[in-house]
Amino acid sequence: MQDFVITWLSSVPSLALPYALASVGLIVSERAGVLSLGAEGLMLVGALAGVGGYILSDGSDLAALSASMIAAGIVSLLFAALVVGLRVNQVIAGLAIVFFCQGLTNLIGTLTGWQNRAIAGMPDLPLGSLENLPIIGPVLFRHDLLVYLLVPVCWAVNRVLNSTNLGFRLRAVGENPAAADAAGISVPGTRILAIVAGAMLIGLAGGYLSVVSAKLWIAGMTSGRGWIAVALVIFARWKPMQALMGAFLFGGIEALIPQLNAAGVKLPQYYLVMTPYLATLAVMIWQALGSRPASEAPAALGQPYVREERP
Amino acid sequence: MSDQTTGAVVPAPPSQPKVAAKRRRQLVLELRLDMPLWARGLISVSAALLGLIISAAILALAGVEPSSLLTEFASAVADPQSLRAILNQSAPLILVGIAASIAFRARFWNLGLEGQMIMGGIAATAVSLGGIGSDDARIFLMGLASALAGIAWVAIPLALKFFLKINEIIATLLLNYVAQYALYDLLFGAWKDPVDSFPHSASYSAAERLPVLAGWLQVGMIVAVLLVLLAFWALQISRAGFYLRFIHANAAMADRMGVKTGRIVAAVVVASGAIAGLAGFVIPSGMEGRLTQGFFEGYGFSGVLIAFLAQSNPLAAGVVAVLVATLFVVGQSLQIFYQIPFAMVQLIQAIIVMCVAGADFFVRHRIILQR
Repeated sequence: MQDFVITWLSSVPSLALPYALASVGLIVSERAGVLSLGAEGLMLVGALAGVGGYILSDGSDLAALSASMIAAGIVSLLFAALVVGLRVNQVIAGLAIVFFCQGLTNLIGTLTGWQNRAIAGMPDLPLGSLENLPIIGPVLFRHDLLVYLLVPVCWAVNRVLNSTNLGFRLRAVGENPAAADAAGISVPGTRILAIVAGAMLIGLAGGYLSVVSAKLWIAGMTSGRGWIAVALVIFARWKPMQALMGAFLFGGIEALIPQLNAAGVKLPQYYLVMTPYLATLAVMIWQALGSRPASEAPAALGQPYVREERP
Repeated sequence: MSDQTTGAVVPAPPSQPKVAAKRRRQLVLELRLDMPLWARGLISVSAALLGLIISAAILALAGVEPSSLLTEFASAVADPQSLRAILNQSAPLILVGIAASIAFRARFWNLGLEGQMIMGGIAATAVSLGGIGSDDARIFLMGLASALAGIAWVAIPLALKFFLKINEIIATLLLNYVAQYALYDLLFGAWKDPVDSFPHSASYSAAERLPVLAGWLQVGMIVAVLLVLLAFWALQISRAGFYLRFIHANAAMADRMGVKTGRIVAAVVVASGAIAGLAGFVIPSGMEGRLTQGFFEGYGFSGVLIAFLAQSNPLAAGVVAVLVATLFVVGQSLQIFYQIPFAMVQLIQAIIVMCVAGADFFVRHRIILQR
């Protein structure tokens, strides 16, 4: 039983990480008032670019993960041009971005031959003698670099959003763009910045999936994690640290699947694979039944700001 | 610079006119209140063409010459066999296009078309495998079962939205994955083909396949066209359609005026699920002859795209669906002859949506060069 718990807990962080980074990235753009439904697509772009960067740089982890972030950032500029520049409906633009990315990554992956090509990927980085501690050694100190950096990154994003001038401006644009505009803050500029910064985190989440976890690119490999991240943002009430906790909850659920299989629990395989999606729905229902008001969403979320249409 | 004409003799200080010119000439954005229909159509069509040109450029990079691309398109609409393929392909696309259109009219983002299709396909196949009903009644029972399954699957996000205010975008998308794994569980398990052990269901019998009339007209297409007309009547002519437009414009107002908004929206969403479920029956029964692993792939987005391009008008959705079907058929032949993955079709659709959606900016705004 103890072994079961230890193997289970030690596999949680690497499963939680993509959810955490993607939802924190989403929070950055949603706090600025931009509903980024494109996360699923941006994660795919990050995943493919990660493997591509790894192969092209002859196995540099840094190049791979930078490629993930940069590629997702570039694609998000297209999204920014649509929703900030051309004021396209954010739901339509987000969906179009997802399908654009699905098609594009599938095409590029096939044409370059990166599809199904195993890479060595980024290795684990056990922390010296700490990894040999009983129980907490494998659970906390036998992971890759990004897992160790996860909490500081989320904390830093939280800090930037809540205690810096940049964060105040970003949230002002998300809560009341007209007032922010009157106060001299550039609404389009802030929103574009938030979209690109958020997309880079989402891209990194995708890159982690392919370069660190799977060490492989397969078309559509994110299999809905981007949508789960969108749900997680609502669950976390647009707060990065809560998103981090939620990500660990989802990572914990996902980590149970192989553990239950290994422990010999006889459940149909495909029903086990469904659990993350059902768990997401369950969490949304649980939250909706709760007593706290369901929505603490940024007031201007999803609304394009057009100075000429200001009331 | 144009104001230099008068002061040609006396040279002005070099910096001043520049500043003045900058201040005087600027691009100003103005809201456009109205635009003639032909101009709007022209902008949308040019945007779609721009999308096709961008797509052709991507295909050229992928190794398909633009000239052979044109040949591909030309032969797709000239060759009787591929025309039949386009007609066959149109039926499910029209159905998902209508399903999306009517849901959007009710401001319900039904992004679960694929999940509803899967459930429809599963229900129809269950009727086929169970041998329910006589041979004559079987195909009707299969269609009915698929529609009911589609309704059951859309009822979940509908209820979640109504009673718990849970966002239907996320709920419908998550349920797609649930439906997909339920399908895999059946196809890799209980329903595996006993003949070849591949993960698809046993072949439907001849009585379970949609008949083809006069050698070219598949019955699925007739059903689709009838549904287009029915949806057109329901949305544009019937009283319920009028209420729906009222709700679309201002739900709170409609509610206070005594319109039964909840019931109307629920009925429309249920109809959307039923039609999507039916699409999940038309593909196995009319095209593939059995339930396969990936029969639903891409239809969800295509449905949304068709509804978007048709602005949720059922008649327009029918026309757009045939164009998308042409794209599908050309995409299939590109896959066979040029090894271009079918995902290219998805990419092209996404590019077209982006171009048309972006071009809408020029319908709503006027850019003026102020002097």
